[in-house]
Amino acid sequence: MFNLVDLTDRRILITGASSGIGKANALMLSRLGAKLVLVARREDKLMETLAELEGEGHGFYCADLSDVESIEPMVKELVATYGPFDGMVYAAGVGTSIPLKQFTPEKVQKVFDINFFGFVEMVRQLTKRGRYNPGMRMVGISSIAAQRGDKSHMAYSASKAAMEGALRCMAKELAPKEIFINAVEPAMTATEMYVKYLEKYGEDSGSNEELLKRQYLGIATTEQISSVVAFLISPAASFMTGCSIPVDGGLLSN
Amino acid sequence: MDTQEKIALIEDTLDLDEGTLTPETVLAEIDEYDSMAKLSLIVMADDEFDITLTSDVIKGFVTVDDILKALD
Repeated sequence: MFNLVDLTDRRILITGASSGIGKANALMLSRLGAKLVLVARREDKLMETLAELEGEGHGFYCADLSDVESIEPMVKELVATYGPFDGMVYAAGVGTSIPLKQFTPEKVQKVFDINFFGFVEMVRQLTKRGRYNPGMRMVGISSIAAQRGDKSHMAYSASKAAMEGALRCMAKELAPKEIFINAVEPAMTATEMYVKYLEKYGEDSGSNEELLKRQYLGIATTEQISSVVAFLISPAASFMTGCSIPVDGGLLSN
Repeated sequence: MDTQEKIALIEDTLDLDEGTLTPETVLAEIDEYDSMAKLSLIVMADDEFDITLTSDVIKGFVTVDDILKALD
């Protein structure tokens, strides 16, 4: 039977793979035949994800991608172990709420370290000669926050907008090397990050209830995000690069 | 940090004039005590006291004194 998003034996690196959208991506891509290398900080959680994958030949690596200087030695080691990559999903990221009054460069730097600088460095290192196969496709997990504003979300929104701005430039630079890069922009998704957000801020953030009125298909499941990622990382999306695709439950149409 | 310094910090966080609050001030009577003010309190408690204020704790605040106790 024809499979539009066949990923059989494609070697794909997934960051942030221990939870949330990253974990859902790992499960989805393994079901489509990919051989994965999972990267995240927490080894115990990574092992849980690894145990749930379908197929053989997967690997993992523990790393904190906010430590940008650690990315080059990690990529070198992974390429030496697993060979050049066919794809990368950058799902590592942090969310934060900082009102303008309490906004400081130090707080913003922490958000950018993982959401922006880690992403760019991963792309930079993986696209050096010998570390990728022609036709490599990469997907950044951005956010609908890259193009929509909300109270106290400046650092997060700015980091995702920066990711997408960089992505558009990198796409043009990488196309001659047959490397393609896109992003997905999830709206509110049922991740551990979202649960913690509700536990911490509850209804007092004032924005959650309003958001749910606009995001009229409800809260996304992680599978609803990872299915779009699967398409973008597959050759089926061969005519797409430099794009950011909203997966937003109707938010932008509202 | 003594009580007066904490009250000054809360006033600054809620964008109120100095001397506006006392421990007995009822929060529901302060126009500026809205959702953003509550979020600002959460961030301030984390920044200044390394204390995590949850939504449930904040919902239980009736007076300024309740905030002061939570910052102890």
